[in-house]
Amino acid sequence: MAIGRVTQRMMTEGSLANLQRSLGRMAALQEQLSTGRVINRPSDNPTGTTAAMRIRTSVADQAQYVRNARDGLGWLGQVDSTLDSVTGAVRRARDLALQGANTGAMGQQARDALAIEVEGVRDQLLGQANARYLERPIFGGVTSGGQAYDATGNWVGVAGAVNRRVADDVVVQVDVDGRTVFGDGATSVFAELDALATALRSGDSAGITASIDVLRARENTVVGARAAAGTRYQRIELSAQAADDTKTSLSNHLSTIENADLAETTVHLKLQEVAYQAALGATSRVLQPSLLDFLR
Amino acid sequence: MAGSFGSISTALSALRYNQVALDVAGNNIANATTDGYVRRRVVGASVSSAQPAMWSRYDGHGEGVTVGEVRRMTDPLLDARVRREHGLLSYLSTSRTILARVEEGVGEPGPNGVHAAMLDFRNVWQDLSLDPGGLAARQQVIGSAETLAQALRTQAGNVAREEADQRANTVNLVSEINSAAKGLAALNHDILVTEQNGTDAGTLRDRRDQLALELAELAGGVTTVEADGQFTVKVGGATLVQGREAGTLVIASGITASGDADGAPIAYRIDDSSGSTVLPAGASGPGGELGAVTEVLTTHLPTYRAGLDAVAADLATALNAQQAAGYDASGVAGTPLFSYDPLVGAASLQVAISDPDLIAASSLPGGALDGGNADLASRAGNYPDGYQRLVNGLGTQVSSLEQRSANQASLAGSLDDAREQLAGVSLDEETVNMVAAQRAYEAAARLLTTLDGVLDTLINRTGLVGR
Repeated sequence: MAIGRVTQRMMTEGSLANLQRSLGRMAALQEQLSTGRVINRPSDNPTGTTAAMRIRTSVADQAQYVRNARDGLGWLGQVDSTLDSVTGAVRRARDLALQGANTGAMGQQARDALAIEVEGVRDQLLGQANARYLERPIFGGVTSGGQAYDATGNWVGVAGAVNRRVADDVVVQVDVDGRTVFGDGATSVFAELDALATALRSGDSAGITASIDVLRARENTVVGARAAAGTRYQRIELSAQAADDTKTSLSNHLSTIENADLAETTVHLKLQEVAYQAALGATSRVLQPSLLDFLR
Repeated sequence: MAGSFGSISTALSALRYNQVALDVAGNNIANATTDGYVRRRVVGASVSSAQPAMWSRYDGHGEGVTVGEVRRMTDPLLDARVRREHGLLSYLSTSRTILARVEEGVGEPGPNGVHAAMLDFRNVWQDLSLDPGGLAARQQVIGSAETLAQALRTQAGNVAREEADQRANTVNLVSEINSAAKGLAALNHDILVTEQNGTDAGTLRDRRDQLALELAELAGGVTTVEADGQFTVKVGGATLVQGREAGTLVIASGITASGDADGAPIAYRIDDSSGSTVLPAGASGPGGELGAVTEVLTTHLPTYRAGLDAVAADLATALNAQQAAGYDASGVAGTPLFSYDPLVGAASLQVAISDPDLIAASSLPGGALDGGNADLASRAGNYPDGYQRLVNGLGTQVSSLEQRSANQASLAGSLDDAREQLAGVSLDEETVNMVAAQRAYEAAARLLTTLDGVLDTLINRTGLVGR
């Protein structure tokens, strides 16, 4: 710019404008430092704002998936430990049946004792079939009641899967329908144990032998159900891990977009401070003298 | 031919002239910081002896000095450019200021505000799907819906308040413009009369230039200088001031006198003695601050509000449909979660349910604890995306206005500088002028002394031979 004449007012206004600009830059840096964020309003960086909002959405989703997965793991953990005890109980019943089948070595009194124990196992299994997680029977489907089976071994749940969303398009069932493990009514494990107890009491060796096979089949069913639940447990665990990882990396990404780099901003602020001081110094020197100072 | 005392009158003219030069320098110094003051320079004219009579003769050395003119150091072309760029600057910076204020109220991106409320709302549905029977989870859905509706209403309220403020602002601007126009017309007349009387109208011209700049900034008024020196000001292509007559800018429709909206688009007209002229709308209408406020009221704010309305409508429609698709705690089909009036928009968004049992978490009838519908509700609608696009649009607009007004400010600033170089008072320069005038005055006084001495010699000491 070619300056023809320089006037006092030009210098004052110019200096003032420069000081203002400098102070403005300092205020912007100061805002970044005090809020710790480089994007304080959408216009600071429209593209960054869009990215930040998208990432915030994903972070919130992933956090929720982690929460969902934890809940799902709670359900499936309960399913697993219950089915573990159920396997033990069914195996114990089959052992009792095997003992009862050994008709030569055993009197009726001993078989009666076995029958009593079998009935005990039945009650234990009924308790396990009504196992609950957070007040809800894990084998009762979506029932709002507190039980999956009534005392007679009838399934009283409501058909329906308890699902947990663990990723955008991944929904995993976290309960097990009691009927696939314990059966229902006349075809239930409870009816099977009742039949075994009856056979033991009446010394019906054919019935006892039949029960052994039935209980073996039941044990396989239970183990199969447990394995299926275990697979789902694993899937959820993997999803939870993935969601957690994604959340962490997204949070980091968000931070690089939104947050101020403390060291960098501080250095910039310091630089700006120096520039401002220089501008102040220059202004004070420039505004002071006029020809009047040098004339007598 | 100069007489014996001719040189004395030459000295007198020098004394007078330099007195004026000192006065002008003094006046410049006095006004060194006055807004709108244009420095004056005294232009001397040497007086040549005319031939007053047939036998008088020009003796070739001039007869002193007179004040030819006290010149205002302006450049009409530069003034016109300054006005144009300042008009554009005030248009841009006004738009930017208004939209930036709306943007401050948006509060994105961050842990508060509408977007955060949306995310929270989606997540509480998921939490409900984990525990469909839980009263706390149901209550949370209602609470979160309240928060979200409230956040959207607050933002819609901010925009509506800004619109109301700007309508009131428009009414004030129009009256400011009219009073500036009246002032300019009066000055047009005063300057003409004053100059016909042969009096200096410099101060009036300073004031008129200021008003012309003010009209450019307020309304994008374009000033042209007529052959007779009068200013004609046009706004939106129509004449607002011509000679001594000022028209009246009137809000033809869109805003009532009390600053309310009347539902019609905003339009202006100018009434003057020859009738009334309706100004065009948009870019060819008024500029400056008035143009910016009109544009913001016509386009920017309604667009943003419509965006908010669309987000609220999407939220209400999607969630109400999802409610209807599911079943509440007692097993019957869900009732609408939100009430929304499309005629009113986001400001009417309310949560319609207060009983937490009415939240339709289940996708099965009959009151089973199935959270399937809650899961779907957390994913219903596109309102977070819609909102994010809206915010992004506003941010982009504000940042581009910021950029443009910064550029325009530096352009206007350099023009101001150029004008200041021409019209500004330099104290150094005035000091030099003062010193020069002082010295010239001293020399003229010395001339008088010299002449006095010469005449003394001639009158008092001549013819005394032998005495």
